[in-house]
Amino acid sequence: MTLVVEHLDVRYGGVHAVRDLSFTVAPGELVGLIGPNGAGKSSTLHAIMGLAPGTGSVRVDERELLGRRPEEVARSGVALVPEGRRIFAELSVEENLRLGLAARRAHAGVKQVFDGVYEQFPVLHEFRARQAGLLSGGQQQQLAIGRALVAEPEVLLLDEPSLGLAPSVVDVVFAALEAIKERGIAVLLVEQRAQRTVAASDRSHVLGGGELRLTLGPQDAGDTEKLVGAYLS
Amino acid sequence: MTVTWQNLADGLALGAIYALMAVGIGLVFGVLRLVNFAYGQLVMAGAFALALASQWGWPLWTGIVLCFAVVLTLSMLMDRLVFRPLRGQSPAVMLVATFAVAFLLENVALLWFGSLGKIATSVTSLNRPWTLSGVEIRKISIVAVIVAAVCLLLLNQLLTRTEIGLHMRASSLDSVTARMLGVRADRVIGVAVLISGALAAIVAVMLTVQTPLVTPDFALRDTIVVLAGVVVGGLNRPIPATLGGFVIGFATGVLGGALPTNQSQYLPALVFAAVILVLLVRPRGLFDFSRTVERV
Amino acid sequence: MFRRVDELGAPALLVIATALLGTLVSVSTQTYFTDTLVKISIVVALYVFIGNSGVLSFGHVSFVALGAWTAGVLSVPAGEKPAIMPGLAHFLLHRHVGNVASLALAALAGGVAALVVGIPLMRLSGLAAGIATFAVLEITYNVLQYEDRIGPGLNTFSSVPETTGLRQGALGALVCVVVAFVYGRSRYGRLLRATREDDAAARAVGVSVYRQRLVAFTLSGLLAGLAGGLYVHLLALNVDSVYLDLTFITLAMLVVGGSSSLLGAVVGALAVSAIDSWLSVAENGTSLFGWHLDLPSGTAEIVVGVLMAVVLILKPSGLTGGRELRLRWRSA
Repeated sequence: MTLVVEHLDVRYGGVHAVRDLSFTVAPGELVGLIGPNGAGKSSTLHAIMGLAPGTGSVRVDERELLGRRPEEVARSGVALVPEGRRIFAELSVEENLRLGLAARRAHAGVKQVFDGVYEQFPVLHEFRARQAGLLSGGQQQQLAIGRALVAEPEVLLLDEPSLGLAPSVVDVVFAALEAIKERGIAVLLVEQRAQRTVAASDRSHVLGGGELRLTLGPQDAGDTEKLVGAYLS
Repeated sequence: MTVTWQNLADGLALGAIYALMAVGIGLVFGVLRLVNFAYGQLVMAGAFALALASQWGWPLWTGIVLCFAVVLTLSMLMDRLVFRPLRGQSPAVMLVATFAVAFLLENVALLWFGSLGKIATSVTSLNRPWTLSGVEIRKISIVAVIVAAVCLLLLNQLLTRTEIGLHMRASSLDSVTARMLGVRADRVIGVAVLISGALAAIVAVMLTVQTPLVTPDFALRDTIVVLAGVVVGGLNRPIPATLGGFVIGFATGVLGGALPTNQSQYLPALVFAAVILVLLVRPRGLFDFSRTVERV
Repeated sequence: MFRRVDELGAPALLVIATALLGTLVSVSTQTYFTDTLVKISIVVALYVFIGNSGVLSFGHVSFVALGAWTAGVLSVPAGEKPAIMPGLAHFLLHRHVGNVASLALAALAGGVAALVVGIPLMRLSGLAAGIATFAVLEITYNVLQYEDRIGPGLNTFSSVPETTGLRQGALGALVCVVVAFVYGRSRYGRLLRATREDDAAARAVGVSVYRQRLVAFTLSGLLAGLAGGLYVHLLALNVDSVYLDLTFITLAMLVVGGSSSLLGAVVGALAVSAIDSWLSVAENGTSLFGWHLDLPSGTAEIVVGVLMAVVLILKPSGLTGGRELRLRWRSA
């Protein structure tokens, strides 16, 4: 399923968070969305997920998602790993994962899906009966991603997954993203770590002031001047 | 002050009944963040249904079915007409709105049945005493405790072992994230309202057995006291809320029966003073030992 | 502050108009008008706190009750006291004050009580404040019911001199309206409204939310006490007249009119009073455009209840939308 965003406009009260944004993410692609704070990256993801109001068009496979309720967007095959993880601290790891089943369209094959997630993130299997709030930041991030994968989405959105994580854990996260991409899922990654994102993504869009300023490819990852310039423009 | 076995049994029964009401109120609060002042009116409606059924000469169990039908219908109407349009408003507006509904329904009952109320004669058979090892205790006291325990157990199983139960728990903790994961808000709320209504119907039956005279302010007193108990116990968490309801019911039941009248008349004032104290000193509730930050 | 005097005009004129209208009707109907004027006083008192702070209070009728009790106990003629208040404390038995003094003391009683209650409670907001103030109402009700050393307990407060006619009612309401206006325009009122709009931002610039709320709460208690004094000089009250029913109807008046403006408070009180009075009359049989109506008793409360619920659901900001009305003097 291809994610198509066209002329997206997001306003919160008096703030114009996203202006006329257009891009696509095809299956198997990893597309980055980078830029400084307040550039409109999170707002874009929220609008796609139905958590923020927006005008324009957001489509997956020609089905219009903009304006639908979050649970409907989730059931259409789009999953969001939100900023700050937002896992349910008082529920167990397994219960958190089971919640991901709510958006799943197929009814069979639940065990295989869980096995797949446990294989991708062994630590979740080890702690499956433990209260999710007791996990470390990196483990919670893996739980948040695992929870999104349980729904077997066709489009995966991630909002700053590496925030607050140690470099070794960030490696785990990016490795997982690579594996997810290989499975044919369309991945949209919002990040502040520009260099890593540009290197790992098929292409990266730089947002500034709600607008698309520049599009970079993996070959630009080593070009610090270009990156800094893009951020400060 | 002398405490008899009957006093204790009465306390246990009232505690059990209040615990069920606390759960009913807590379930809806969890998923809607709305305190339903009008919950007691659901109980009252059920009690009046029982009274009407007995007036029409219907057999006991048909009357109970009518009670459930009336309460569940009214409960769903409340959700549709009042709760749903109010979603997203401030807690103050919701509180005033449910207060208005409570007041409204009480006056409808006054209009329909008059202030003298009606008597549900069919249920009095359950109010006869049993004799256990020389002590006479009313049947209903034991039945109330057993019924409440069974209900709570069943509810616990529902919440922990079923998918809808998991969805309800998640919605109470973080409704936005739950929806983002695909949990259907309307379905979760509908189930909560349904269970809450069923509990109100059960409470209506038990209260009517204890007090067959049904008057329009039948359950308003109880709602206020239960709310006080829930707030004292801990509004945000289901177990502390239920405990709070039970404790206040037990205390009220025992003290109400055991204290001589001239001392028990200030009981409400003392109870409410305790509520204020708890709200000031331990706003999350006496029994709330969780570490997560909740919004009240 | 006096640039906005024209915003005082509308509420004040409405009060005066009501009183003047009242002079045109029969004496028995006049009671409805006077009752409306007293209700205006109560609702304005509510507005001073709830409207400016955005915090809900279910407990203000306690201050009305305390004001009523104070004014009543001190103005019942000494000879009648033992009849309706047999358990009255000794030092109250022989105290007697005049009309205005009783009103002043009623206001004082309300204000002091509000201060005492407010000191601990103003730290609370939202749901907690609602429940705590409800508890205050319950405690006051319970105590006044059974404490016959300070009042009639469960008996009715009869024999209180009926000094609240149209003039006293109107004057009382005007006092409340003017005080509410001056407070609202003052620095205190504006600071408090800032906390209503954005609590965090206000704190960030150093506004003491607690202190501003306490000021408003105390002032509104004062006005509520005054209203209570007016009330007891109008009708023979008992504990139930200053409990849930009054709480409900005055809250309904504030909500329907628009809780964030003074005009809203007055308009709401008038609108709901009109409906309530007319329905009460209809309950005794009346004719509307040639149809004979005989509504069952209790209809009034139901209609008001429905009205309140409908307004809350459809237009939470009330009839006035929380706005004031500026009366401009047109130059000739």
